Parts: sequence; C-alpha cells; structure tokens
Amino acid sequence: MIKENNCNKLIEEAKNLLKQGKVQRIIGFEKGSLRFTVTPLITSDTDAAERLVINPFIVNNLSNFLTGLKGKTAIVAKGCDSRSIVSLIQDNKVKREDVVILGIPCNGIIDLAKVEKLTGIDKDKIDNISLNGDKVLVSFNGGKKEFATTEVLFDNCLACDMPTPTEYDVLIGEAIKPKPPVSQDKLNELKEKLPAERWLYWQEQFSHCIRCYACRSVCPACFCTRCFAEENKPQWLSPTPHWQDNLLFQITRSIHLAGRCTDCGECERACPVNIPLRSLTKEMYDIVDDVFDYKAGTDKEDAPLMASYESEEAEDLFL
Amino acid sequence: MSIIKKIGKQDLGKLLEEWKQGFKVLAPSRESGAAAFTEWNGKDASFTDWYRNTVTPPKSILLPLVEKMFSYTKNEEGYKLETPPPDEKKQLVFGIRPCDAKAFNLLDMTFKDDYQDPYYLNRRQNIILVGLSCKDPYACCFCTSLGSSPSDSSGMDIMLTDIKDGFLVESVSKIGEELMQNTKSLLEATDDDKAEAENNRQAAIQKISRKIDVKGISEKLRQCFDDESFWQDIAAKCVSCGICTLLCPTCYCFDINDEVTAEGGARYRSPDSCSFSVYTKMPVENPRSEKWKRVRNRVCHKYQVYPTLFNEIACTGCGRCIRLCPVNWDITQTLESLPSSEVKDAK
Repeated sequence: MIKENNCNKLIEEAKNLLKQGKVQRIIGFEKGSLRFTVTPLITSDTDAAERLVINPFIVNNLSNFLTGLKGKTAIVAKGCDSRSIVSLIQDNKVKREDVVILGIPCNGIIDLAKVEKLTGIDKDKIDNISLNGDKVLVSFNGGKKEFATTEVLFDNCLACDMPTPTEYDVLIGEAIKPKPPVSQDKLNELKEKLPAERWLYWQEQFSHCIRCYACRSVCPACFCTRCFAEENKPQWLSPTPHWQDNLLFQITRSIHLAGRCTDCGECERACPVNIPLRSLTKEMYDIVDDVFDYKAGTDKEDAPLMASYESEEAEDLFL
Repeated sequence: MSIIKKIGKQDLGKLLEEWKQGFKVLAPSRESGAAAFTEWNGKDASFTDWYRNTVTPPKSILLPLVEKMFSYTKNEEGYKLETPPPDEKKQLVFGIRPCDAKAFNLLDMTFKDDYQDPYYLNRRQNIILVGLSCKDPYACCFCTSLGSSPSDSSGMDIMLTDIKDGFLVESVSKIGEELMQNTKSLLEATDDDKAEAENNRQAAIQKISRKIDVKGISEKLRQCFDDESFWQDIAAKCVSCGICTLLCPTCYCFDINDEVTAEGGARYRSPDSCSFSVYTKMPVENPRSEKWKRVRNRVCHKYQVYPTLFNEIACTGCGRCIRLCPVNWDITQTLESLPSSEVKDAK
C-alpha cells in the first residue's frame, strides 16, 4: 500500500532539497479540486511543498513534465513513472544528474471509473474510498462496500511487475515485491476475436475519437516536438478525424513507443471518450518483451531499443 | 401563456416514439463508451436513470466532428462540384441541459448573427430543444455563477423538470407550444405537480456548490494579461491536449482540410483547438507558441474577448473542462486567483 503517512517524509525531503538549493523545483502531487482527484504540483516554493500528497489516487505520470525543463528537478515517481524517466534518460531527453527521483513504492492506483461501475455511483457522490491491504472499502449513501483490489485497481497496475521504482535517489517507504499479474480479460477477449471482428471493433472504437491528442499529451514517451500526425509534407494522415486516420494515428503512435512504453496506462486513462488505447500499447509492450526480451526503462545505460541493432538479431520484424 | 403538462416516466418511450414520427430524435446514450447525444434507438428510455450530462456536448450536433463541405470529381470535361444535401428531417434534441442550450445561443453570435454560416444555420434552424432541468448537478458544475441555473429554460422550446414518477412538461417557445398541442401522450398536470417541480428546481440550485465571482472579470483579465509569471505558474501543469476546448460547449474553432486524389476530392471542416501548439500553423505561425500564452488565451477568450465583443461570457459553467481534464486543471481556481491590480501596481 502507498502509505499516506509517508507524505511527511516526502514533504521533508522536498523541502530540504528546495531549501538547500539542490533542486530548482519539485514536481509532485497535491489534492485536486474534485473528490479523490490529485493534480500535479510544480513549484519552487518551499512552503507550497507542504501540499504534497501520496495516496492511492496519484495517477499521473509526472515524468511527462521533465522534457524541456532547465535546471535541476526533484520528481515524485511511482514504479512505472521511474521507468519513463529512465527511458527519457536513454533517449537523451533528460540528464540523470538533473533529476532527483523521489521514488514511491506503489501497490497500484485506484481506477475511479471501475469504482463507479461497481457501485453504480458517480465519484462525486462517494463519501470515502480507502485502500487497506488487498481490500478497498467504499462508503456511499450511508453504507459501505468492500472490494478486492483486483476489482478496482487500473488494469495496468494489475499487470505491473515493477511496483518499486527502478531508479531513484530517495525511496519514500519500503520497497515492495510485485504481485502475480492478474488475468487481463479485456485484452484476452480482444485477442480471441477473429481478425475481421477485431477490425470492426477498432473501427467502432476509433469512430468516436475526437482527435484531442490527450493520449499523446499525457505520454512521457511522446516527447517529439513535431509529431508525424501534423506533418504535411508528406501528409501521413488526414487532420480530419475520420476513423481510419484516427486508427492510423494510434497504431503509428504505438509503434513509435516500442521500447519506450512502460505501460503506465495514462493514454487510456486520459481518453475522454474511453477508447481502450492500452489494448494497443500493451500488445506492443508484450511483443517487445517477447521478441527482444526488453522492458522499457529498466536500465539507463541501455541504448534505446529501436536505436540499436546487433548483427545476430532476428530479422523477421523487418518490413 | 405557456402550456404545462406532464408525462409519466414509464410513458417516456411512448412520448419519444410519438416525436420520432416527425423528427430525428436525439437523446443521451452511453453506447459509444462515453455519454453523448445520439439518435434515439426507439426502445430504451432508461437514460434518465443515469443521465447527468454528456461527455460530448450537444454542440457537435450543429458543428460535427467531420463536416463535408463539398466534394468534386474531375473528368475530361472538367470539374463537377457536389454539396452534401441538407438534413432531411428536423432534429429534436431530448434532454439537453440548460448550460448546453445556453451554449447554442452563444454559438449563434458567431455563426448566425455575426456571420451566416450555411452549414450551422441549416441545422440550427431545423432543431427543437427539449430541455431537462438538472436535479443532480455535478460537483464541477458552476452555472449559477454565470447567470444561469439548473432549470434555466432560455433557449429551449420545451422544458422538462423531474417530479415524482415523471416529468412536468412546459412549453417555452411558440414552436414548443405548437408541438405540445399536437402531442397526444402528454397528460394534464395538477397544481401539486407544478409545486413539486418548483421545489425540485430550488433544491437543484442549492446543490451547486462551486461558485466564482465574475463581477469585473473582463477588466481583471485585461489588467493581468501581461503578468507572465502568473500565467506561467497557472499553465505549468497543463499538458496542451485539446479536451477542454474540443469538449467545451461554446468553443467553436475549426480547421479546414482538402483531401485530394487524382479523380476528385473533398473539403472537410472539423474542430480545432487553441490549446495545440500547431494551432494556425498552417497559414502562418502560431502566435502563441508558448504554453502559458495558450492557457491565457483560452481563459481570456471566454471571459474577456467574448464579453467585449458580444457582452456575454462564453462559458456556461457546465464544468466539462474540469471534470474531463487529465490533470485536473480547474478554470474556476484560475479565475478566483487572478492577481488584483493593486498587487500588480505594487510590483
């Protein structure tokens, strides 16, 4: 469990780093303006660091804010977030010496959409949600309901095999062991479909895409300052959100993330129209693992997967 | 004098079925995975059980995601231009919320009054709005701070309000009155029904807890426009996605693109967003290449530019930009924390 009482340790670390001038800013989480939500806190103010929180709702992958920053930054990072930072270091987007990683061992983040579905109550009407071991207690309408964490954590958290940050300067709390991955029904159902059925499925899903690019905006691995989606010489896809172009965008984005995606799940979570984007990125993540025996963001000394080639490597992936 | 009737909840399907004979009826649906107005399926009227508001605002009925403006084919004799036929059936939007209907009036100022946009007008002039008062506003809703309310019927043709086991149905416009006169499924409302509806309206107003003070907001924004450090701070956590703008009921920026092949082509219009770094980059350059300038623009366009041009704030307090933002960037917090001119002068 992410223990809330570790908040004090985090605040103390953050304040010291700022006070001693070891970092110019801190990137962490603070309480959001809606129930159970957190919001990124990016500040140079020592007093503001008092507002830092750690709780089972700290969903954003904050490494997204690192690219392009000048000066030293202390950043709060869960397991998957730390891997994104490592991946950014590998891609030369962030210098290791410019970040102080405040690592948070993470037992998974609560998916409020799942809680809403299970209780039939919108989150703004739920009184309390608390995580205790492998149970989650939800209070609403004067009553209480208990769920197993496997029912309410994000799908990517249930598949996580690196809950403790792979790279950190300070670990806030005790390192924790990964839990056995929980069967991923949504992905399995999709894989069992015939190709023609799957095609229809994605056609339907991508017909709702509004091309807000939130999937790209929240993704730390989408660090390009110029994205192929907006190139017009040549034009790879139409800016008009036809479903075919929406799908093409997402497939290409997934391929670009090979060896960079840490399965943080942010793309799917951010999508306002609930397109199951992780079903694409996780498939790509698994292929990378199967073919190259590679997991993104586990070793900062590694060359970026797609930027290195060894002569004995299999060539059956070449087009 | 408006007509006041009622409909039982169990008869809602019957009412929609009756209206379906003369209109393309649009109603809230979650079939696509996120709540939106889609053509009513003719069966299920149970959406009132879960419906608070949609994710996709009903503005997309007037300004669709993909608008084919025209297409052409090319042959030896020359070019043949084709414009899509106008919608055949009038549309009836059932269940639109007051904030979203108010947004239609705001969109009119750009697409109907200031400039007559044929694509918009074709739909706008053939639409009937049957509103549904909110009984259960979201925690992010702040319509009461913007001169509206959960039961504001302005812009509606007919307005429904929850009562026990059904809805009170009131005509608002002349068109709404005529439609109600010709609708058989409606029942007579009693004085008790009317009193209950009024109680529910008042109760809903009390449920809106998010409040901002918009008095003098336009002037305040003008004064802090150049306060870069304020806007830099405010913008720091924004990720520059297009959710807040594309899903805003009043944002209307669009992009036009041609799709051309050897045999012909088509011109499409689709929504654009001032949050994007590539906004307006095609014709020239984005004058707001830095994120803080884009964040400032979104706030100022709604709360300063629109009031200056049209004497109206271009925000209806629907709260979608707060509810759907992936980083919980909250416009009400920004508006409440604008540096005052005194502070600025002291600098």
